[in-house]
Amino acid sequence: MRNVIACAAFAAAVGLAAPALAADMVFVSWGGTTQDAQKAAWAEKAGLSVLQDGPTDYGKIKAMVEAGKVAWDVVDVEGDYAVQAGDAGVLEKLDFSVIDKSKLDPRFVTDYSVGSFYYSFVIGCNQDAVKACPKTWADLFDTAKFPGKRAFYKWSAPGVIEAALLADGVAADKLYPLDLDRAFKKLDTIKKDIVWWTGGAQSQQLLASAEAPFGSFWNGRLTALEKTGVKVSVSWDGNITAADSLVVPKGSKNKAAAMKFIAYASSAKAQAEFAAASGYAPTNLGSPALMDPALAKTLPDQQTAKQINADMTYWAKNRDAIGTRWYAWQAK
Amino acid sequence: MAGVTRQAAAIEGGTGLAPGRPRRLPAGPFALVVPGLLLLVVFFALPVLALLLRSVLEPEPGLANYAALIGSGTYLKIFFNTFLVSAVVTLVSLAIGFPVAWTLAILPPRIAQPIFGVLILSMWTNLLTRTYAWMVLLQRTGVINKSLIGLGLIDAPLPMVNNLTGVTIGMTYIMLPFVVLPLYGVIRRIDPAILQAAALCGASRFQALRLVLIPLVAPGMAAGALMVFVMSLGYFVTPALLGGTANMMLAELIAQFVQSLVNWGMGGAAALVLLVVTLALYALQLRLFGTAGLGGR
Repeated sequence: MRNVIACAAFAAAVGLAAPALAADMVFVSWGGTTQDAQKAAWAEKAGLSVLQDGPTDYGKIKAMVEAGKVAWDVVDVEGDYAVQAGDAGVLEKLDFSVIDKSKLDPRFVTDYSVGSFYYSFVIGCNQDAVKACPKTWADLFDTAKFPGKRAFYKWSAPGVIEAALLADGVAADKLYPLDLDRAFKKLDTIKKDIVWWTGGAQSQQLLASAEAPFGSFWNGRLTALEKTGVKVSVSWDGNITAADSLVVPKGSKNKAAAMKFIAYASSAKAQAEFAAASGYAPTNLGSPALMDPALAKTLPDQQTAKQINADMTYWAKNRDAIGTRWYAWQAK
Repeated sequence: MAGVTRQAAAIEGGTGLAPGRPRRLPAGPFALVVPGLLLLVVFFALPVLALLLRSVLEPEPGLANYAALIGSGTYLKIFFNTFLVSAVVTLVSLAIGFPVAWTLAILPPRIAQPIFGVLILSMWTNLLTRTYAWMVLLQRTGVINKSLIGLGLIDAPLPMVNNLTGVTIGMTYIMLPFVVLPLYGVIRRIDPAILQAAALCGASRFQALRLVLIPLVAPGMAAGALMVFVMSLGYFVTPALLGGTANMMLAELIAQFVQSLVNWGMGGAAALVLLVVTLALYALQLRLFGTAGLGGR
């Protein structure tokens, strides 16, 4: 896997040879059940021939943009990265004469990005594997009451630090700016009981096999897991929301197609269909009206009573500092 | 399985890098190297150089990235981990690989070929698949733990994954062919009469091993060890999936810098440190053993 480096450096030196496309554009996302749903609900109905690629890789985006050989046209990225990369000049400005933003949740719209979907970190638990399931973040951090391994997201991103602070008794409206010292102190108390997951598929495997009978998960992955017959319980208590965004890397060769794709993907109908398939919430405010009410009730946007919105602007500003500290703490 | 023997023969017979008896070639031997060299310069040396340049230019010109790497206890620990895991994997691979290579060398080809087949076949299976397979076998709710608990041999599951044990098992399994093949080549070239001669001259079995056999296989051992150690230093997938964050290795740190933090200066600096160490080890190998076992004579 030194090719990660080799590839990045190679891209910088020689330039990525964009494949000869027999398609209008390339869409890149995180793979697994989420990208399958995006392919079915958006790519196959946008009236374009769309090539799928992945997984999303910020290093690759940087390499492509620097080399001026951009092979990706629309990329699904994390919300905090979208804000930061937009400011850093790595993204194309979106064409809002093509994309209708009047109906889009304004929390997830910038000049360079629109919301792709929004998800919650929720507390998932394999009911067949344990006697009692943790219901709150405080429960999940209580190894005496709930012995066993707990699964958490490995990469530096909104979600885990917030959960630690909430578990430690910080009030939801006092989370930001994050008290990192306090968060890491709390995380230290359960460090040896954490199993880290790096991607959605791995998180599903950990929970289904009861390798980690509970933990913090993307809600949509639990929906998908339930469909396979695993007895999953989901607690929305203190669910932490964050959004993915759709962006266009600067220098995309198929900008017009990219705008058209984003216009369709963010439309009420496409958002509603993706939400139904994935269990994630739509970012188009017109979508819930188009959805089966019973289904709409199960999505993160309906769980506002006990919901914490991760502050994307704070994260975009502090992404590097938190990340450096996060990985150093993990490796200790 | 004719291919297997050809592969083994190629390993035995060398790659022509250092031919024993130089033959007169029409264009001179150097001309043959040019295409390969060009390819390496364009597709390997230049990009690596570009990344290394970043390490002294980004985010600000200077050696700040290197200072940050060497000045941090965490990063030093990751360097230490990288060497520790590589050394453990190398030792275990040699301990398991030597008997295998020895057996393969003395068995009649009819029997040795299928065993070779298994060895080589495992190399052709996707690395990620093999790593995931180990995860499923080793985890607390995995096949091995469940069987042991079912047999009543243990009460609680053994922690065999997300730690050094998991990394060692997974990486040794992947590295084994790289030890067995060079060793096999060296052992095949030893004339069995030499050992008989040693016995006739009054050497005990142990003396024959220590004074005759080991010096003869040392170059193959060194070649296999170097190959495994150097490959292990840069390993990414297996340690990331089977090790815990506390056994993080350098490649994963570089990937974090490059992919997650998009900080290529630090990524480049870490990569340079890894490259320098690797080249130093290679130089040491050449000093001690020449090119024997690496394909030359």
